Amino acid sequence: MKDSNISENDVITQPVKIAARNVQVYYGDNHAIKDVNVEIDDKTVTAFIGPSGCGKSTFLRCINRMNDTIDICRVTGDIEIDGEDIYDRKVDPVQLRAKVGMVFQKPNPFPKSIYDNVAYGPRIHGLARNKAELDDIVERALKRGAIWNEVKDRLNEPGTGLSGGQQQRLCIARAVATEPEVLLMDEPCSALDPIATAQVEELIDELRQNYSVVIVTHSMQQAARVSQKTAFFHLGHLVEFGDTDKIFTAPEDPRTESYITGRIG
Amino acid sequence: MTQLFSSISASVLVLIVLGLGIVGYVTMRSRAIASGGGDARNLHSLPSYYGANAAMMIAIPSLLVMVLWMLLQPMVIQNTVIKLIPDQMVSEGSSVGLVMSDVRRIADGLDAAVAQGAMSGQEAAGLDAVETDVRSRLAEVGVALGSDVQAPILAAAQKYRLLSQSWRAAMVAVVLVMALAGLGFAYRQTDKDFRARNVVEAGVKGLLIIAASLAILTTVGIVFSMLFESINFFRMHPWQDFFLGGSWAPNFRGNSDLSILPLLWGTLYISFIALLVAVPIGLFAAIYLSEYAGPKVRSAAKPLLEILAGIPTIVYGLFALLTVGPFLVNIFGRGDNGVLGVDWMSGATSVLTAGLVMGIMLIPFVSSLSDDIINAVPQSLRDGSYGLGATHSETVRQVILPAALPGIVGAILLAASRAIGETMIVVLGAGAIARFSGNPFEGMTTITTRIVSQLTGDTDFASAETLVAFALGLTLFVLTLALNVLALYIVRKYREQYE
Ligand SMILES: Nc1ncnc2c1ncn2[C@@H]1O[C@H](COP(=O)(O)OP(=O)(O)OP(=O)(O)O)[C@@H](O)[C@H]1O
Ligand SMILES: [Mg+2]
Repeated sequence: MKDSNISENDVITQPVKIAARNVQVYYGDNHAIKDVNVEIDDKTVTAFIGPSGCGKSTFLRCINRMNDTIDICRVTGDIEIDGEDIYDRKVDPVQLRAKVGMVFQKPNPFPKSIYDNVAYGPRIHGLARNKAELDDIVERALKRGAIWNEVKDRLNEPGTGLSGGQQQRLCIARAVATEPEVLLMDEPCSALDPIATAQVEELIDELRQNYSVVIVTHSMQQAARVSQKTAFFHLGHLVEFGDTDKIFTAPEDPRTESYITGRIG
Repeated sequence: MTQLFSSISASVLVLIVLGLGIVGYVTMRSRAIASGGGDARNLHSLPSYYGANAAMMIAIPSLLVMVLWMLLQPMVIQNTVIKLIPDQMVSEGSSVGLVMSDVRRIADGLDAAVAQGAMSGQEAAGLDAVETDVRSRLAEVGVALGSDVQAPILAAAQKYRLLSQSWRAAMVAVVLVMALAGLGFAYRQTDKDFRARNVVEAGVKGLLIIAASLAILTTVGIVFSMLFESINFFRMHPWQDFFLGGSWAPNFRGNSDLSILPLLWGTLYISFIALLVAVPIGLFAAIYLSEYAGPKVRSAAKPLLEILAGIPTIVYGLFALLTVGPFLVNIFGRGDNGVLGVDWMSGATSVLTAGLVMGIMLIPFVSSLSDDIINAVPQSLRDGSYGLGATHSETVRQVILPAALPGIVGAILLAASRAIGETMIVVLGAGAIARFSGNPFEGMTTITTRIVSQLTGDTDFASAETLVAFALGLTLFVLTLALNVLALYIVRKYREQYE
């Protein structure tokens, strides 16, 4: 079943990684996501854009079942990753989240040292056989998070002592350290300066070689720069989804056009 | 006039002052409006602030004076009256306090006699101990005296009555004058440009400061009273024995061994066992309730735990004495021939009994504090951990507990200081034998139980055996204070690290 909004001449070169069908999300009585259908490709960067409160984070959290932790939240519909329904009872959400990493909208470093923050995932999943390997993983993750140079001399200081932007990159490093297959990034550059932003975008581009990346962003330029596909959400609906170039140059829906030209939001 | 004033009781006086305050409030409020030409917008402050200012001016200084006066008056009167009593009467085996209480008792008796009409005012003032049998006269009006009244005491009592009356009258006069002066002052102040709002603001602040300093002063007062008695104790008893001696053997004929060390050992041993019980159970209960339990379980279990916290400790003591103690004897001793067939425990009172029951008492204390602390850990940290594929218990162990640790350590230390100060459970559950021993099945005793036993029954406040209670109390106070300071220090240190 293909989403009607995907343009006819969209050439799909990559296999579908994540497929969502008729997804509805309710927070109590609040219907936050309304009937969303989308197919997210492997080895592709997909951007979610849309005005504040339209449900981008909510939908993103459905993909790794983070909404399970919210008591009042109810999700219906199907979401498949690699053809497997992730809301199936057989699926262990803990296992799923190891595969589908997430960078949260608000930086949330653990009250531990910088090193332990990054080593948290690898330790839990037993990714390192010895201390040297773990050191390696941590260093590589921090380098990919574009923060290595700033913290390499203070790895034992608490992660909570970093600046907001540094914390954000630490959280990115923490997420990539577990080598997820899918990385969900909720506004990962909201507190970053242009240089760090460029580095993170470079990282996203690099991750695309192997993984599928979904990024929520409020910056049209960023969406245009890093993503191949773009989804526009509005009031809980997925209004339009397609190639980034097309969304930004010739949007089909008037609401999309209004938003990217700055009239909604 | 003096008659009238001295007949006004303190509570009536307070009511009069408060009434004046209300009058001041109403009149100054309308005076302020009038001064603004009937339009409240012309005033510097809202009209009610002018009223409140007047009420403050009337009530606060006069009531403060009244409180101070009532505190100081007995001391002043006592100093005058005591001169009437010959020195040897005081020194003959009794203290100034005892003599003064006799004096007060007779004075009260005379007051009662006059109030009931059994004596006229003049008669009461002119009684003579030699001619009249004061004791029987007072017995007629229902005031029983322990012994016949001696002349100097009666004279002192009469003087006491006289002074009390005139001082009371003077106090009423001064307080009323101050209240009226406050009203007059407020009247002068009330004007449309007067900054009543700022004055009221300062007044509110002052009131809060008074409340805060009262709390602190009381603590200081408690410490000092303990300190003085402790100093008296150390005059009579060598401090080396108290702090460094090896045994506790009070002997009311004097020459006792009064060392705190065996008691301290008992206290710490029992508290340690209590914490061994309370900390794991309380902490796990808190983790279960805040992290795993559904809303239904939580809403049922939390109040139940809190009921546990509301049980008076004497009830726990009975539980220790009647249930836990015999139960332990059945297991570890020969009670009903013993479950384990060992003979380690002979009596129901033991360190283990008291420690277990005290631990049960502390469970809700630890769990409800820890529960609050765990709940305060931000959800975003949990999300971060789940988002990396951690399980629930991994998240609890590696993220939530470390984040909550400072608070939990604080909770544990608070629980420890409660355990150290706990009395009733150990009175009933731990026994009364002071000794150094590592055997938890033996009875032992604690600082608090010894304070109780040294101060109950026939006590003589001039002997070291009684006064040792104050030194014990002071040591206990210092101990718990140190524990609390340590708790604060640890909490702060962790907070610096994690914030
Ligand atoms: N934990 C929650 N409980 C209840 N309602 C929620 C919760 N989280 C989000 N919502 C509601 O769901 C809707 C979508 O929120 P969401 O966080 O997904 O928006 P968003 O698109 O990410 O916005 P932003 O760009 O500001 O981050 C909002 O109406 C919000 O009020
Ligand atoms: Mg969001």
